[in-house]
Amino acid sequence: MGYCIISYATFETIRAMVAELSPRGMAYLDPGSGSYLLQLLIAGFLGGLFVIRASWDKIKAFFRKLFDKQANEGLDDE
Amino acid sequence: MSEERIGASFRDPSGFLFSRDGTLYRQVNLQYRRDYDHLMDSGLYDELLDRGLLIPHEEVAIDPLDTNQAYKVIQPERINFISYPYEWSFSQLRDAAFATLNILGLAIKHRMVLKDASAYNVQFYHGRPLLIDTLSFEHLREGEPWDAYRQFCQHFLAPLCLMSYKDIRLSQLLRVFIDGVPLDLASRLLPGKTYLQPSILTHIHIHAKMQKRSAAVEIDQIGMRRRTMSHNARLGLIDSLKRGIQRLQWKSTETPWGDYYSTFSYSDRSIKHKEELVIEFLEECNPSTVWDFGANVGRFSRLASGKNITTVAFDVDAGAVEQNYLKTIEDDDKHLMPLVIDLTNPSSSLGWASKERLSLVERGPADAVFALALVHHLAIGNNLPLIDIAEFFSKIGAWLLVEYVPKQDPQVQRMLTSRRDIFTDYTQEGFEKAFKRFFIILSAQTIEDSARRIYVMKRLEGG
Repeated sequence: MGYCIISYATFETIRAMVAELSPRGMAYLDPGSGSYLLQLLIAGFLGGLFVIRASWDKIKAFFRKLFDKQANEGLDDE
Repeated sequence: MSEERIGASFRDPSGFLFSRDGTLYRQVNLQYRRDYDHLMDSGLYDELLDRGLLIPHEEVAIDPLDTNQAYKVIQPERINFISYPYEWSFSQLRDAAFATLNILGLAIKHRMVLKDASAYNVQFYHGRPLLIDTLSFEHLREGEPWDAYRQFCQHFLAPLCLMSYKDIRLSQLLRVFIDGVPLDLASRLLPGKTYLQPSILTHIHIHAKMQKRSAAVEIDQIGMRRRTMSHNARLGLIDSLKRGIQRLQWKSTETPWGDYYSTFSYSDRSIKHKEELVIEFLEECNPSTVWDFGANVGRFSRLASGKNITTVAFDVDAGAVEQNYLKTIEDDDKHLMPLVIDLTNPSSSLGWASKERLSLVERGPADAVFALALVHHLAIGNNLPLIDIAEFFSKIGAWLLVEYVPKQDPQVQRMLTSRRDIFTDYTQEGFEKAFKRFFIILSAQTIEDSARRIYVMKRLEGG
């Protein structure tokens, strides 16, 4: 019974969102309302993850450069 | 003057392909003018060409096919052999998927986007996948999701997941579903452990469920509140799809023929002699195209492609084709195209009016055909009469290099262990008699250290 209520509530939420967020219909392909909605639902998460990963790559690159520089300086000292 | 519109080119109103006197052209329609000009002027076209991701073209001053709609006519460089996703091995489809995502990434950089993501828009050119549909780009619409997301998942991600997690033969679903594997079907077929993979969970399982739910509701477009897809979200989506595909693996030695040359067969002397006979044949008939049927990992195909001959290497075994493809990449072989084809059921014409995808035979003919260590599989393994086999080869190519494997050969003996020998015509005399109906036998030599024979044949005039 509980599952049915939750399931119905989820269905109604999706239905309301689809109604609000349906595509403008400019594409020659039908993008599919479910596919369209899914992208909007995960957009924030994927965008955030992308920024974190890109920043992390930059941090790694910075430290790699720093250590490489130190190692080279060490070699020069020798 | 002979001219016709190409059957596969009807979906997109931006333009279409047509052939005139044997040359292929693409008409760009007026409604696509703004997008085409931006593609050419923004630097995107040049960057895609530099990276080998788009077919080069030239604008030509010829009469368009449909003058009322025409903006320009372009002549794309010709692809030597058109292949389809259901003929590709795992890594070929995977590389085509990466190429599509890389193209999308570059397009976004230039404020454009791919408006479709069909695997049929990708072809192998000089051994590497590239986009052949120059009209696939359109201006980026700020804040909007990617229209081709579902198509990408159906054409690339879903079949790759099924091939990797379930069975390599599920690539054949692409033959049945012309617009890619339906996501609800992929979701049902994939094992439960794929729910633990974030990319597959999102882009296949949840995606399939969203489609089901959304299909059931009426869409009210009035008063809709807009959510947007940011630039980072768009790049994040590409990144997520790429990472998901990168994680997919498949081991090609799991199939029966993927390990053929290391587990069976010719002595060193006989295989060397066979190679010499193939080289002699190539020097004698000097073909511009070779179709090698039953090519396995492409050992003999490479003798042709090594001479810059356009060579297509067909095999029924996805493992052998996978190894062949990986070797072409390793060697940077620009003339060899390995493909998965079951010769007892070769690709037929498919799609709307059976004209969208060409059958294998329609994509011929080739100058020369190799049928090495193959005929016994067709004749004994599939009960095909020798005369039918000879007739089929005569329709494919003018020259034929064919191997006869006698009944006393251990390989044929193995095939006959579990069945009654009903093949009374399968003798050297029967073989020659059948092939002489369609070919002149120019030479026949027994392979050293073996009872197998190699025949060089030329198709009879009017045959």
